[in-house]
Parts: sequence; C-alpha cells; structure tokens
Amino acid sequence: MLELRGVKVAYGGVEVVHGVDLGLAAGEVVGMIGPNGAGKSSVLRAVCGLARPSSGEVVFEGRVLNGMAPERIARLGLALVPEGRHVFKSLTVAENLRMGMRRNGNGAAALERTLERFPILRTRAGEHADRLSGGEQQQLAIARALLGQPRLLILDEPSLGLAPKTIDLIYELLTGLREEGTTMLLVEQNAARTIDFCDRCLVLGAGRVRVEGRREELEGDSDLLHTYLGGQP
Amino acid sequence: MSSGRLHSPALIAVSLLVPLALVALTMAVGANGTPALQGTVTTILCNLIIVLGLQVFIGNSGVYSFGQLGFASAGAYVAALLTLPATFAALQTPALPHLVASAQLGPLLSTLIAAAACGVLAAVVGLPLMRTSTLAIPISTFAFLIVIYNVLANWDRISGGSSGLVSIPRTTGIASAGLWAGAAVVAALAFKWSARGYRLQATREDEVAARSLGIGVTRERLIAFALSGVLCGIGGALAAHQSGVLIPTTFYFGATVTTVTMLVVGGARSVFGAVLGTITVSTVNEVLRNVEGGAHLLGVVSVGRTPGLAAIGVGLILLATMIAMPDGLTGGREAGGLSRGPRLRAMRPILGSTTNGAVEPARAEPAGGSALCAEGVSVAFGGLRVLRGVDLTLRRGEALGLIGPNGAGKTTLVNVLSGFLTPDTGAVSLDGVDVGGRSPARLARAGLTRTFQAALPFPHLSVLESVAVGAMGVGVGRRQAVAVATGVLDRLGMREQAASRAGSLPPASQRLLGVARALATGPRYLLLDEPAAGLSEIEGEELVAILRGVLEDFGCGVLLIEHEMSVVMSLCPQVQVIDDGVTLRVGSPAEVQADPAVVEAYLGSSYLAAASA
Amino acid sequence: MTELVQNLIDAVALGSLYALIALGVTVIYTVMGMMNFAHGEFIMLSAYALYVLAGLPFAVAVGGALVTGVLIAIAAERVAFRPVRKADLSAQLVTSLAVATILQNIVMGAVDARPKSVATPGFISESTQLGGVSVPNLEFLTLGLTAVVLACLGWLLYRTRAGLAMRAAAENFEMARLLGVQADRVIALSFAVSGALAAAVGVLLVMQTGQVSPTMGLTPVLVGFVAVTIGGFGRMFGAVLGGLLLGVIASLLGAYLPESLLPFRDAFVFSLPVAILIVRPHGLLGAATGEARV
Repeated sequence: MLELRGVKVAYGGVEVVHGVDLGLAAGEVVGMIGPNGAGKSSVLRAVCGLARPSSGEVVFEGRVLNGMAPERIARLGLALVPEGRHVFKSLTVAENLRMGMRRNGNGAAALERTLERFPILRTRAGEHADRLSGGEQQQLAIARALLGQPRLLILDEPSLGLAPKTIDLIYELLTGLREEGTTMLLVEQNAARTIDFCDRCLVLGAGRVRVEGRREELEGDSDLLHTYLGGQP
Repeated sequence: MSSGRLHSPALIAVSLLVPLALVALTMAVGANGTPALQGTVTTILCNLIIVLGLQVFIGNSGVYSFGQLGFASAGAYVAALLTLPATFAALQTPALPHLVASAQLGPLLSTLIAAAACGVLAAVVGLPLMRTSTLAIPISTFAFLIVIYNVLANWDRISGGSSGLVSIPRTTGIASAGLWAGAAVVAALAFKWSARGYRLQATREDEVAARSLGIGVTRERLIAFALSGVLCGIGGALAAHQSGVLIPTTFYFGATVTTVTMLVVGGARSVFGAVLGTITVSTVNEVLRNVEGGAHLLGVVSVGRTPGLAAIGVGLILLATMIAMPDGLTGGREAGGLSRGPRLRAMRPILGSTTNGAVEPARAEPAGGSALCAEGVSVAFGGLRVLRGVDLTLRRGEALGLIGPNGAGKTTLVNVLSGFLTPDTGAVSLDGVDVGGRSPARLARAGLTRTFQAALPFPHLSVLESVAVGAMGVGVGRRQAVAVATGVLDRLGMREQAASRAGSLPPASQRLLGVARALATGPRYLLLDEPAAGLSEIEGEELVAILRGVLEDFGCGVLLIEHEMSVVMSLCPQVQVIDDGVTLRVGSPAEVQADPAVVEAYLGSSYLAAASA
Repeated sequence: MTELVQNLIDAVALGSLYALIALGVTVIYTVMGMMNFAHGEFIMLSAYALYVLAGLPFAVAVGGALVTGVLIAIAAERVAFRPVRKADLSAQLVTSLAVATILQNIVMGAVDARPKSVATPGFISESTQLGGVSVPNLEFLTLGLTAVVLACLGWLLYRTRAGLAMRAAAENFEMARLLGVQADRVIALSFAVSGALAAAVGVLLVMQTGQVSPTMGLTPVLVGFVAVTIGGFGRMFGAVLGGLLLGVIASLLGAYLPESLLPFRDAFVFSLPVAILIVRPHGLLGAATGEARV
C-alpha cells in the first residue's frame, strides 16, 4: 500500500534522512523506532507532504506523493496523528471531531462508532480541547484521524509525555484498531512496546535503517541496544 | 587567504568607491544640464540621504520602520525655521520663540542642528518602540509618522500649519547635496561594518542566536534608529532648502512608499543597493512623471494626462521586486561583493595542531566556586510537567554529558540554564552567584554561552564575520574580535572557509560554525545542544577531538546534550541521564550503560527481560 | 448628565466603527500572519462603489459596495499576496504597502484626486430623540450594523464548516491541512471576509462624511493596525477590544479636549499605543499563543 524508495529528506541544506526504504501492505502494522534525531519524524513528514523528499519516492497505492500538498494527500486516505497531538485547543472536542470528518456526509454513522470506541469524548464533547488531559487529547487526536476513514493511519510517538497507565489504554485502543484490520504505521521511541505491538519494526539510527525484523528477531538484539546507547551492553 | 581581516583593503575600497562614483556621476550629469535637470538631480541626492537613513536601520536590523520620514519632516522644519528670515518668520510662524525666529543661520549650521535634534527625537521615540515586538515596530513607527504629520499640520503658529512654510532660502545645490550624500554613504558603510553594525546585523540574521552571543537586541536597534533619524533629518533639511517650500505632506505617505521602494529595489542590506535603487527608481519616476503630463512615447505613441501614473509605476516596481527579486538588484551585497569560498568538502581539521591563534578567555578567576549549578529546577508547560526538581553541576574544565529519551527535558534544562526560560521553581547559579531571571545576553557576557540543535547560522555573513560577532557580542572591539575569530577558526580548522557565506556551508560545517561562534565569546561554560547530530561516524570522531582540544585550551566547562552515544562516551567522564523530567543517574559512561533503569528508560522493561533471558 | 450620555453614545459608536476595522485586519492576520496595509484601500474602493452607483437605490448601491470589497480583496490575494505567501512577514507587509499605493493611485488617476461627494439617504443625517438625548441616526446605524456584522461573523465562524476550517487554520495551519483543509480556499475566504468587513466600514464612512477621496483609507488602516497592536495580535476579541478602546478614547478626547488642543486629537490618540506598549509590549491581552507547528 505504501512504499518508500530511497527517500532522503533535507531541511535547509541539512540532510537528516539518508535513504530509507520501507514497504507496508494493507492490514499490516509496521513500527519505526530509534533514538531521537534518527529521522523518524522526518520520514513521516515526507510521507504526509509536510516536507518534500530531496531524493527518492513516496508511493501510496500506486501514486507518487512527492510534492503533493498535504491536504491532497490527506484526502487520498492518509491520516497523521502528529507528535504532540496538536488538537485544536481553541475548538471544542466536538468541533475537533468535525474537523476530522469527511465532507461526503455519511459522517453520522462513523461518528457514532467513534464515540462508542472513545466514550470519554462523548462525555466531554462540549468542552474546549485544552481542558483535556494528555491521554484524552491523544484519544481525541486518534479519533479525529479515524473519522476521515483513512486507508492508512500514521501515529507519531503516541505515547510521548503520557503516564504508563494511559499508554496502556492507548495501546488497547490501537490493538482494537489492528484487529479491525486498520493499516498502521507507528513511530515510537519506546522500543520494547513497539516491537511487541507491531508485526514488523524498522530501527532507524542517524537517518538510516539499521535493523529490521519481526518481534522474535529484534528482542534482545544487541544491534538495537547499540543504536540507542552505544558501546556494548 | 588574508591574515585575519574581515574585509580586504581591496574590498573596502571598491565597496566605498563604487557608490561614491555613482554619486559623483549623478552630480556630473546634473551639473551640465538644464535647470530642470539640476533640480531633479538635487532631489535625487537629497532622497539618497534619506534612503541611506532607511538603510542604516531597516537594512541592518531587518525590521521595517515606516516612520523615518517623520524625522525627515522634523529635520526639514527645524532647519527651515532656523534659516527663515526674521520677517517671514514673523508672518508665517508668529508663535515661534524669538530666539529661533530671529535666527538666520547658514545652511551648514542649520542642517547640523536639525540633525542633532532629529537624533534626540529618534532616541526618545525609539526608546519605547524598540522594546516592542518585531511586528509592532512597523505599526508603531507608522503611527509616529501620522502623529508628526498631525502635529505639524495643526500647530499653525509654529509650523505654518497645513499651508506650511514658504520663502525658505534655497541654499541646496548639487554640490552641497552631493557632498552630504557622499558623507552619508561613508557613514552608512562605516556603521554597517563597525562592531555595532555587526551586532545589529546578527539580530537580523537570527535574533535568538544573537541573544545567545550577548547581543542586546533592543539597544542595538535603538542606536541604529537614532542614527537613521539623523540621516533622514539631514536629507529633509536639504530638500526643504532646495524647493524653498515645505508642507506637512512633503514627507508623508507617498514619500515613505517611494523611499522604501528605492531601498528594496536596490537591496535593503546593502549601501550600494541604496544608491543604486535610489537612482534607478528616481529615473523611472521622472520618466513616468513626464508621461503623466501627457507625452509622446518614443515620438510615436501619444499618451493623455494620467495623474498618479508615476506612483502606480513605483508601486508596481515594488510589487514586482517583492515577488520576483526580494533581495533587490544587488542581492544585498556591497559593490566589493562577498567572495564565494571554495565549495565545501567537510572540515578536515589537523588533529593535534596548536597554532598561535589559541585564545585566552579574557576574564579573571571568580572569587566564588567555579561551577554552573542548577538546583531543584522545575518547569511545567500548561499541565505538562517537563522538569521536576532537577539538579545539575557543571564545573569548569570538565565535560558533562546530558542524555535521555526524547521529551525527557534536556533542551528545556539547557534553556533554563542559559536564560531562555525561567523555571517555575529552583535556582541557577553561576560561580556562586544566583543568576535567576537574567537574560541570555547578560549570561553570555558573564561567561555562559550555548549552541542550538538547529545551528541557527547567520546566512548572509561570512564565516569569519559570524565568529567575530561572537566576540563582539560580549563587548570586544572590532579589531580584537577579528583576532579572536581568526584564532578560533584556526583552532577548529576552518581557516580556509573564512570568507565563505555561512548560509552556503554544508550542515556539519554549520554546526561546527555554531560552536566556533560560541567559543569566540570566551565562555567559562559552554552548553552544546546536539553538535554531532547528522554527522557521520568519522565526522563525529573529529568533533570529539576538537572538543577535547577546546576543553584543554579554554578550560571551560562543557555540557553536552547528545544522542550520538559514541561522542558522549568518548568525551565525557561523567554523564547525567534525564528521563521524564527527573535525573535517573549521574555516573561514568560505563556505569550508565549498565544501569538497568537507564536501559529501561530507553528501551522498555520487556527489552531487559528479553535480553537477560 | 445628558451631555455625558451623549458623549458616551458617540464614543461607543466610534468605537464600534473602529472595532469593525480592526476585525477586518485581524481576520487576515490570524490566518496568514500578515498585517495588510491594503485594507484601507479595500475600504476606499468599497466606498467608491457607492459613488459610482450613485443613481441607483441606496440599498442596491450598498450591495454593490459589498461585492466590490469582497472581489477586490480576493483579487489582491490571488495576484499579489499568493506569490509572497512563503516570504517572511516583513516582505509581506511591504507587498501590502505596494498594493495599497497602486490601488490608491489607480483611483486618483481614474476618477480624481479630489474628494467627491456622495448623496446619502436623508434620514441618516437626522437625529432621533431618546429619552432626552439626541442621537444621530447614523450612530444607530453604526451600532446596528456592527451588531449585525458581528452576528454574521459569529455565525460564519461558529456555525459553518468553512468557518470552523478558518478557526482551525488560524490556530494551526499545518494541522488543518493534514486534515484535508485546502490552504488556498481558507485564505481566499479570509480575504473575502476581510473585504466584506471593509465594505461595511466604507459604507459607514461615506454616510458619516458624505464624500469619498482616494486617501480616505489611510487613517482607518492605521486605526486598525493600532487597535490590533494594543489588543494583542492574533486575537479576534482583542481586535474588537482594541478598536473599542481606541474609538472611545478618540471620541472622548474630541469631546473633552480643551479648544486649543483639539486639532491635535489624532496625535494623542495615536500616541496611545506607545503608552500601552511600554507597559505591555505584547498588547493588552497578549499575543495569541498559537500551537507550535506540527
């Protein structure tokens, strides 16, 4: 469904991603982990149209996304839940959700399903989004992305800044989504949970893919530790 | 390559002579022409002085002031009132104090007094205005323009009201206007390339980086604002003494647009640009004015009366320039140009070299202990607690690594230490002195400098200029600053790139330049935010070597935020791990790597379980 | 006492006019981050529509003014501002200055540099008695029009999908785009709204002075800028507050300044922002803290 071929990303002359290949089939859940500065968010920005790859191609269901405006990419069915959530603080929860809905009007059913999955949002529908806790904002951001009925859901560090219990809750939600067959690309810094959760993980370090594999292959892998902490364990 | 000069004598000569030659040429054209042409040329020269006044402030600070013509107006009126013959003064401005009314000064003296008055006015007006945000300055200076207009147009008994003043002695000719214009060119260039001018330019290039190098943004802007007021006042005074007539609308909205256009079309950052732009736009303006009155174009096409054509033309030129050529005809460069350095391969420092350029920090040893300390620092953004009671001690001559997962609070801690952020609780002390609440610039001058993850280069300055700014920021004079900068560049192996534009360097070099810039401030404590990000393994090793040498030579304390573990581990005998806003562990690299809590923070508990299984 | 009430009503009327101007400026600022110098010319051109359509029934002419304001604004965005959208704010400000000059001088050339009088319905220059106080009908109209405009703006922003997109884009443009909001459309819409607000102001100014002139937009745009500055950038409510404050002070100064100082009223009014900015450099309400970029 999604393919990255030799994607390089540069900001103002500084190349931060030195050629990343990635493949994602429909229904798969793939994770990207690695230390900060490895380039994970930059890869996501390139996919969503917020940054233009300086080299290489981003292909989504056969279409090349390079250079396309982010709103067009979103309408093609890619939804990003960005790092830091970025709910609209000056809007209410309900309005935030509305922003996620497609314009083609069959939103009511989707909205109902979403509110069932995220009951807290129904309770706080009329409140301004900045009154929500971190975990609730994360739920709102995910719900908002889901309302667009995306073909691919991309999450950038959903557990950032959340307490462990809240992270458990979020991952429960994500597990439910996976069981429904939602295709997901998940970027996290917390390696263990991501390795556990995803079908497959890529480990990024200094702008390149260092290691790639399934859970069994990665757990306990010394290369993985080396990428994060240097030296030998 | 030259021996550590900012500009070669040749460059200075060309940059000075070319615009002066243009001025002389303009004078020559006028001197041999009809009286009408002479008048036009004189006007161009007077406008040039005003545009140079604009360049001094707008070009160097990057902030637009739309009020400078208020100073031109003020200067014009002051000079005119001083030269007006007593009889006329009595008629037009009955309320003028007798001293002024009876004064009938010559052109030179009246212009000088007007200049001084405008300088004072600009300093007074600028004092509150320069403290406001970069977006508020254009608006509040615009308001100032209207206030001046309003006062002049209504204070009938002093200024002659909206009918203004007439019978002003017409003492300005091509010679006097040309001489003043030449002097203005020299003054503008001298200011731009002085230590003060460089400090101001740094604020234009990157305000945050400038603050971190000790530069007081408000103060530098204010000084340029005052100088700009002086130049505009001179231009206004001369113009009034050319036409003999002065009304409040002479220097108002239309003139503001015209002079701003002249500056922008030429290239705001450049003195040469101001000259070139003024001549170009004036010429077009004149041609269009003639067409306005109805004319034959090229003897073929006949155009009827079209008032406002010149102004529309000027507006269109401005619009086209903003869209297509925002840096103007000169691209912001002086006539001497900025030589393009050799296209860069990454730095290859000569490891272990010690040149004579080693620089001593210019400060005496402090009485209190030599450490930068944070105690119990807590910061919360909204409901999110980013730092929760963190302590940190950085001693002089030591390297401390600061590591931790993303979002742990490391950069926030550095922001607190360097004065960019005030903590909610906790204290920061520098050599035993509490420095809570001090601005980054003050801290830099006290010996604490930091770099940024994003390098924040000064794109339009050369490498040497950028580093010299670091020294100038903490108050070092220009010549000494260049010596310091040359020494630092030698130390870091960047000597060859000294003349290259900072904006054209590859990423690794820009980061290193940021370190060089910080070193030029002669810091006692240096906080480096991810200097190795994006570097290859080899480049990382080189960086380590450089930093190690820096530590030995400069004896400063170095705090290193890094994710590149090889860099941290090889440089820092001590490492502090921060996770989720608290300190997890302080210890040697080996201790930290083996600590289960640290491994868990990065990789999660199940990793440990799997690893030990 | 009645004089005080009279003056207060005058003040609020002027304040609401200024608030309308400030809103027109803020709408564009919140979405694009740009202060639009040409807003004064949007006002001026809308007013000239009344002049041009003088023969028609007044209501029709007002409609014409509205259409003019909206169209001019959208055209300016498309031609002049879109190419510099990615430039820094100073560049955009100077661009708007260029647009303002061009529009002003086109009118000077096409019509006349001198003011032209415009006939307005008679009842506007009359006054109505309200419990011992004589209130000019124009002020009723101003207050009423402002109320209607605010209600319409509120409806647009809070009850329509387009308005929701605008508010979202104003807070975080990138995030809005990630949710499918089309940048071009949102910006064009904000210009259209700004143009409509300019038209309202233009019409009111014509009714107040009975004439149009090419330079009539200069002081209003300054008023708008100053109001936004003292209210705090980026906040619609701040703009309204700033405008009201400025208008009330201008009006009260006009009523109570000693005779000799009266001509300097504008100087006092526009020195006000400086005084406020000394104490609160980011305006009374502070700048809107936008979300960090995605």
